[in-house]
Amino acid sequence: MTTKIMTTLAILGLAGCASVPIPAFQLERAEASMRGAEEVGALGVPAARLHLQLAKDETETAKKMAGKGDDRAVLVMARAESDAELALGLAREAAVHGDALKAAEDLKAIRARGNP
Amino acid sequence: MNTRSLSLIATTILGGLASACATTTPPPLIEAREAYIASSNGIASKLTPTDLYDAKKALDKADQEFAEHGDTLECRDYAYIAHRKIELTEVKARTEQDRHSIAAAAKAGVVVRDSQVKATQVALAQTRTELNKERQDNTTANNALRATNNLQGQELQTTTAQLDAEKQARATAEAKLAGAMKDLAAVAAVKEEARGMVITLSGSVLFASSKYELLNTAMTRLDQVAEALKAQDSDKRMVVEGHTDNRGSDRTNQPLSLNRASAVRDYLVSRGVASEKITAVGMSSSKPIADNNSAENRANNRRVEIVVSAPTVSAR
Repeated sequence: MTTKIMTTLAILGLAGCASVPIPAFQLERAEASMRGAEEVGALGVPAARLHLQLAKDETETAKKMAGKGDDRAVLVMARAESDAELALGLAREAAVHGDALKAAEDLKAIRARGNP
Repeated sequence: MNTRSLSLIATTILGGLASACATTTPPPLIEAREAYIASSNGIASKLTPTDLYDAKKALDKADQEFAEHGDTLECRDYAYIAHRKIELTEVKARTEQDRHSIAAAAKAGVVVRDSQVKATQVALAQTRTELNKERQDNTTANNALRATNNLQGQELQTTTAQLDAEKQARATAEAKLAGAMKDLAAVAAVKEEARGMVITLSGSVLFASSKYELLNTAMTRLDQVAEALKAQDSDKRMVVEGHTDNRGSDRTNQPLSLNRASAVRDYLVSRGVASEKITAVGMSSSKPIADNNSAENRANNRRVEIVVSAPTVSAR
């Protein structure tokens, strides 16, 4: 009888403490992308800022779900990672596009100088 | 139809509806599929094929989830992730395209600059050539100018020297003339008239009565006259005029006046006066300087005049 009770308590205890572990590499990659996006200037690019905010929200949601033992936490974290990567990509694109416009302007200026 | 049959039909219909709902593709998956089709037909297929392939795998996973379990939250999660990956693929493709543009612009810039540098070098070489030519021309012109200046300097020196010499000679001549004129004034009357400078010598000092041979005392005076005449400008002309008083006939006075003039002329020539510049003329008694009514006046009229004048310019 005692053994049966202890086993039940153990299962319940496990069940009470059970949480879905979000893979550390997944969390690290998402956070790295979010930091990178901010460094590249995502806050100044509307689309990038939107996806950065989504990534942050989804990360928080994933952590809460994981704490509650919700298996879907891993997928929500994957959503956060995809948004973070997209935010980083959009921020980079804006920077490179600016450089491309400047390069075109510079070339135009060089051509305008013409030959002596 | 009993109650059981109705219940079976209802169950079948509800089951059918339920089945239909379960097979309806969720919008996120539809959007992801459409995005993938658009992306695979765009620049991503060329510029970011690897990312496009990864996005396809994510989409396949969503499709597989939908095929196995229908419209579940997990299916929508997979579709969401696939859609983001497709969008990221597009973003990376556009970024790559911009990078290509930057590289192309840089390359074109180098070509244009090279062209400009070459053109500048050509222009510079041309300018150098022109500059060298200009320098050579300037050097030639400067040398010519120096030579001219030197020549002019030499000519100027020569001219200055000549001028100085002439001035000196003139000063000497003028001094000599002044001295001679001063000496002359002691032995003869000298005055300036319209016909020139007239030197008057008394006939009684030069000749014995009715004679035309010079007295010895006359020669001393004529020596001084000769010095004064030689000191005159070389272009001056001299005429020796013999004058008599009105006593006696003109037949005797004329040759007498001429002979006396000639005697004076010949003596002056013998003392160095240029013979071609001096002539003699007999005036007889035609030009008295005083009335012949007294012995003194007649003595004054017996005279020899030497007229020194500038050469007459003959009119054409």
